[in-house]
Amino acid sequence: MLRTLLTIMALAVGMPAASQSPFPVDIGGPYALLDQHGQTRTEADPDGKAQLVFFGYANCLNICSAALPLMAQVVDELAADGIDVTPVMITVAPDQDTVETMGEPLAEIHTDFVGLTGDEDALQGAYDAFKVEVEPLFEDPEYGWIYSHGSFVHLLDADGELLTLLPPILDVSQATKIARGYLNPQG
Amino acid sequence: MMRSLIFGALSAIALPMAGQAAEGTPIQVTGEIIDTWCYYSGVMGSPDAVVGSAHHTCALWCSAGGIPVGLLAEDGTVYMVLKVGDDDQTAGGDGILKLAAHTVEADGTLYQRDGLNYIVVSEVVSDLDITNQNHDDYGNVPPFSIPKSARPGGE
Repeated sequence: MLRTLLTIMALAVGMPAASQSPFPVDIGGPYALLDQHGQTRTEADPDGKAQLVFFGYANCLNICSAALPLMAQVVDELAADGIDVTPVMITVAPDQDTVETMGEPLAEIHTDFVGLTGDEDALQGAYDAFKVEVEPLFEDPEYGWIYSHGSFVHLLDADGELLTLLPPILDVSQATKIARGYLNPQG
Repeated sequence: MMRSLIFGALSAIALPMAGQAAEGTPIQVTGEIIDTWCYYSGVMGSPDAVVGSAHHTCALWCSAGGIPVGLLAEDGTVYMVLKVGDDDQTAGGDGILKLAAHTVEADGTLYQRDGLNYIVVSEVVSDLDITNQNHDDYGNVPPFSIPKSARPGGE
């Protein structure tokens, strides 16, 4: 009983109000990074669309190779319902994903994909805001550094506020169903 | 199909309304720390094969790669581990690498959102090590998770 009470108290202290975050971990916050066109993009979508935000890298062979196509398919499924969502990838490998290089591989996954990179401080600020751990694992002779990184897909509203998380292990229909529950058709 | 069937275990509880505020319920769960990608995707084998000692090496790789870990309870319910202890990152990465495939008794708080079960683990009360010794049945799953040179009899 005492342990239960202490647990509740400990969680309550570190827990933001429900209006601040839908989860007991405060996830999300401001960032200002560069997209593949060299334009600054913040957590707010310039076109007023909802966003799917994932932290990864364009040539990732691991979870990104599942999560990024999942995001693309969810975007298309929602678009068919009249719901416009922007897929965004914030790089965890700025040495590999530069303004010049990240656009092409992302466009192969979805033409609407926005890639974001930046200097170390700007990226770290985004990682910290979204509670994403990034750890270099080893250097692949062909692909360069392989990184460990958090892999939840974040559903944000147009202002950049977190609506919910999408575990990347969901299939397209499940992820789309969850996202649709938070979004309304435009127009 | 496999993923859809297993998803039932994750979402066995009635789907709450989207946007429902986070309200937790204290919970103690005994179960195995699993690699959710291999468990749900089915790409590496059946659910029985992608747990325990047979899948330990792959679970380490996946956990190190940032794939969210889950807690597979004895009743088959899967809890997505959102946070462990004082770790300030969402689960994934190497924070709980040492617990991959281990059976643990965990105190925490259950959050149900979007039909999914999330758990914030406040304390791993006991680490029972790898109790599911299924490698005699399945071998190493998948075999390539161990480099050839490191396999028994390897080069």
